[in-house]
Amino acid sequence: MINASVRIAAPPDVVFPYFTDPHLMVTWIGERADLDARPGGTFAIDFGATAARGSYVVVEPPHRLVFTWGVPHDDALLPGSSTVEVELVSDGDDTIVNLSHRDLPPAREPSHREGWDGCLAALVGAARGAR
Amino acid sequence: MTPARGEPEALVGPDAVLRALADPHRRQILRLVQHSELPAGQIAAHFDLTQQAVSQHLTVLKRAGLLAERRDGTRRLYSLRSESLEPLRTLLDEFWPDALARLKQSVERAHPRTERRRRT
Repeated sequence: MINASVRIAAPPDVVFPYFTDPHLMVTWIGERADLDARPGGTFAIDFGATAARGSYVVVEPPHRLVFTWGVPHDDALLPGSSTVEVELVSDGDDTIVNLSHRDLPPAREPSHREGWDGCLAALVGAARGAR
Repeated sequence: MTPARGEPEALVGPDAVLRALADPHRRQILRLVQHSELPAGQIAAHFDLTQQAVSQHLTVLKRAGLLAERRDGTRRLYSLRSESLEPLRTLLDEFWPDALARLKQSVERAHPRTERRRRT
């Protein structure tokens, strides 16, 4: 599981749409986004040659958001196979964003081929997205 | 010709590793050798590729430090160097923190606060 947090000098209702509006999403992650922010709705982001695909699971503006995350054509990290949970906590005029990404295939000592390939796909996708 | 050794060449880093991993054939090669050491010929038999193409893939993987090569008589045996994936683990660990840092920058640029309201 990967955890990350950041403090942003804006209230949650300002930050929340950055996870649901394609135009705002691409200002910080990916190059193209196709988002339908309601439970079961599409979550799709393209990063160069790879892509993240999943769907929204929980959409509770402006404090909580859960979506699934996977990579098309990869046996193990198939769309929907890992989960990203985002919490937007008010702190004065600021927002603390707590994000956790769980159910990722283990990066080391993969026990089966699916885990291995998904891991590689995730790494390649992540690295591309981070550029 | 100098004898091949198990050690990778010096130029190794996340970029070389990522470039090596970006190809599906090379990922499949790594899967084949992750638990057992295999000769080049046996690796090539899994692919509908020329020996030369497979050999090029092996070279890329070797240079990235992902494959160890060992001579056994006239054969060359290949196996995965799983420790070479550690820099990538770090990279993956940095993915979300980096993304959130960009989110912060993007939100705060679009919604600037005046200096005197800034919290310490």
